[in-house]
Amino acid sequence: MADNKFRELDSVRRYIYSCRTCGVCRYKMSGKVPYVCPVKKASPGFENFSSRGKIMLAQALLEGALQPTDGLARAAYSCTLCGNCMTQCGATDQDTGKPLVDNTAVVEALRADLLRERPDLVDVAYRRVLEQTRQYGNPWGMPRSARVKWAKGLKLKDAQKEQADVLLFTGCTMSLNPELAERAKKAAVVLQAAGVDLGILGAAEPCCGSVQKRIGDTGLAAEMVASNITLLNGLGCATIVTLCAGCCNMLKTGYAQEEHKLVPKVYHLVEYLARLVRDKKLAFTKEQTMTVAYHDPCHLGRHLGVFDPPRAILKALPGVTLVERAATRENTICCGAGGGMRLFEDGAYAQDMGREAVQAAREAGAGALVSACPFCETNLAAAAQGLEEIMPVYDIIDLVYDAAGLSGL
Amino acid sequence: MTEGLSGDFKKQLHEIVGEQFVTDDPVTRFTYTRDASLFGGTQSALVVRPGNTDQVSRIAALCNQHRVPIVTRGGGATIYGQPKGDPDRTVLLDMTRMDRVISVNTESMTVTAEAGIILGKLVHACKQKGVYMWSPFAPLHMVSLGGWISGVAGAAGLWTDLISITVVLADGTVVKTGGGPGTNVHQPLAYNRNLGGPDFGGMLIGDGGSFGIKTEATIRVTKNPGKLRAAIFAFDELEPAMELVRLHVERRPVLRFDPVLVFGAGAMKNFMGETDEVAPFTVQAMIQGHEDAEVEARLATMNSLADQCGAQRNFMLDAMAEAMGTPTGEDSEMDWMAIFNSFGVPAWLPFNLPRQGFAGVYNNLVAWRNERLKEAERLNLRVRTTWEFFTASDPSTIVGEIDVFFADVENPAAVTFARTLMADFQKYAHGLGSIDVYNQGFMADLNASCWSPGFRRLFEAVKTTLDPNGILNPGQWAGSYLSEKEGSNG
Repeated sequence: MADNKFRELDSVRRYIYSCRTCGVCRYKMSGKVPYVCPVKKASPGFENFSSRGKIMLAQALLEGALQPTDGLARAAYSCTLCGNCMTQCGATDQDTGKPLVDNTAVVEALRADLLRERPDLVDVAYRRVLEQTRQYGNPWGMPRSARVKWAKGLKLKDAQKEQADVLLFTGCTMSLNPELAERAKKAAVVLQAAGVDLGILGAAEPCCGSVQKRIGDTGLAAEMVASNITLLNGLGCATIVTLCAGCCNMLKTGYAQEEHKLVPKVYHLVEYLARLVRDKKLAFTKEQTMTVAYHDPCHLGRHLGVFDPPRAILKALPGVTLVERAATRENTICCGAGGGMRLFEDGAYAQDMGREAVQAAREAGAGALVSACPFCETNLAAAAQGLEEIMPVYDIIDLVYDAAGLSGL
Repeated sequence: MTEGLSGDFKKQLHEIVGEQFVTDDPVTRFTYTRDASLFGGTQSALVVRPGNTDQVSRIAALCNQHRVPIVTRGGGATIYGQPKGDPDRTVLLDMTRMDRVISVNTESMTVTAEAGIILGKLVHACKQKGVYMWSPFAPLHMVSLGGWISGVAGAAGLWTDLISITVVLADGTVVKTGGGPGTNVHQPLAYNRNLGGPDFGGMLIGDGGSFGIKTEATIRVTKNPGKLRAAIFAFDELEPAMELVRLHVERRPVLRFDPVLVFGAGAMKNFMGETDEVAPFTVQAMIQGHEDAEVEARLATMNSLADQCGAQRNFMLDAMAEAMGTPTGEDSEMDWMAIFNSFGVPAWLPFNLPRQGFAGVYNNLVAWRNERLKEAERLNLRVRTTWEFFTASDPSTIVGEIDVFFADVENPAAVTFARTLMADFQKYAHGLGSIDVYNQGFMADLNASCWSPGFRRLFEAVKTTLDPNGILNPGQWAGSYLSEKEGSNG
């Protein structure tokens, strides 16, 4: 019988007990899967760093064989939540056809129970993110007013005052990081150039709650989801376009589970741009000679199945050659930024994983890496800086903006 | 730090492998108390991940000096459990950091690798170089090379391919047995194990890790077969199916390129629609080769032999054969794991029997299993599926399984029943002349219980000579699992 204090784990016990701890998640290897778990590779590699090890620990907590400790918290937070273990496991629920073992759900539940029952065991870096969310409405501790700076000089509808067909949901990371904010601007300019009736929320844009949920504060995330649904449904827009893969996953899946559901249809920018390209509403006039590899963000690729739209866009760009790394699409190895790994061990593991991703792109013959998530891009760019031969890291909107011959930012 | 081992001891381990590869963290140690089996892993005071043979040698010497027991773990993929270990004293070596392919020699047709490498990775590395290292398919692809050599009698077919094994003895001595430089067989290259003296390499195969810690091995390979064809035949009775097996295996001593697999109805139902008729026995012939003409000729021969045995065919089986004869990708071995894992709690019921007289024994085994399934039904344990399968591993031997999978993964009673079923089945099958290939946990004990006094004396003499302090995998072969009946739950 499960102890009530581990109620989140109890809610995913079916996944826990369905795992046969065979080790596919630790050892699988093929031409398309050079390895499964980036954490296992970056760490000393003991069992607790692997997915089956974490599931063993989750089961032990449920059965009372273990109690929360520092070591358990370390195991719980040493995960990118990338889901590659689930993909490579491949075991399928015979009744539903869905994955039999949702490893990311187990780790998220493990974190949630730990954080609720023994917050003292959770590294202060994660708790700071949660505190900053409560204080500033975003995980990065930036003033709300900073959120709108990127839109300065653009003529964009305030979605709370004027109804727009499409709401551009920039997300905390893209809008608040000065090094990334220009990409929000480029996205808005490109969408407007394609004739999209666009609105933004500016300083009123809320955090989506993804980071908080992944860290394990399910209560805070639920509060954010509930108030955000009210806000977003009240805007009257038909479509929300996100710039961040994490926001997109949260809005598409985290908001759909609530009784009070999100009404507007959610797309990531790459999905929306691919439709504009297909419908010839975007014309690319400028040639850029480069060979690129596309890094599938885990939230967008493995978790939402969005693999083809970004590739369709890249293939439509004049002069751009797309190459694939050995592990690509659903087999993509996480960049290292997932699941809060940039906060784990001061980011050392995340840095190693980023280097691996960049190196794999170089081995594929790419001169640059392109992605569609500010978390991936930040980590990959930081890792690329640490290499002897620097590799540029772009968001796909950088290439689209240039190819469209737009300027003036 | 646990009470049994001193801080100085741990410090010395840090110096050997690096501090990050030694842990006494209870949570980390806990994850090694479980494995893929229902019988359980190993309790330990320290877990160490050595990086090379020299480090293993120094660890063994240190442990031997302090009489500290060592349990060696590879992929953690056993089905019968591992030595139980001592939470205050045992040093558990997680060998999987030693996973390098040292060389693939396409001239001499050998591959040399560290023993912690997982077979799936080794097989893949061989394929990348255009060579073929025979290994049974999943679930064995999660097993380490060293674990496979140690934990499986005859390494389930690898024994003839193993040319050289590097092993660390309990006192830290590094010994390379078999062929190649620095061995008992004077060879500039490793090409033969059995010359130049007793085959001590063979002695280390299936020893359960009792005689030494494997750190490297050299294995014979062949050119990768690029062609694959398949044929599937149905039979209403076992006897004509076995006749087809006989006609096939008596023609060729080595079956790795041409395995013939016999499936029972329970197994085949997993591939068919609910309303499809399933034959009681289905024979699948897999034919691998290098040229189209070669495999087509062998396929024609197989079809002719099947006709002689009165085999039935139908459109559906032909379609399946066509699909199986078209390789779907290099991950196919791994994908078997996904299928098995989807079935629920497994009771693996493997056997290893002489081909002569097999049909009668097989029918007894299946009848025994079906009786036990009635018992499961009385206990309201839902059987998801059964899986009957066997093949001729050589002209004399049939290996196979009649597995059961229980759907109630959250029900501890299902786990207990599966574990008991496995233990009871092996005891019953032993009585019918079966001896399972796995020399691990429960099964090692059961196998050891049948040793003759003479063999027991030989074993103990070798063990005492190589490991006088008994530090390597203590408890292996000792009967600890049998004395506790089913062992502990994993």
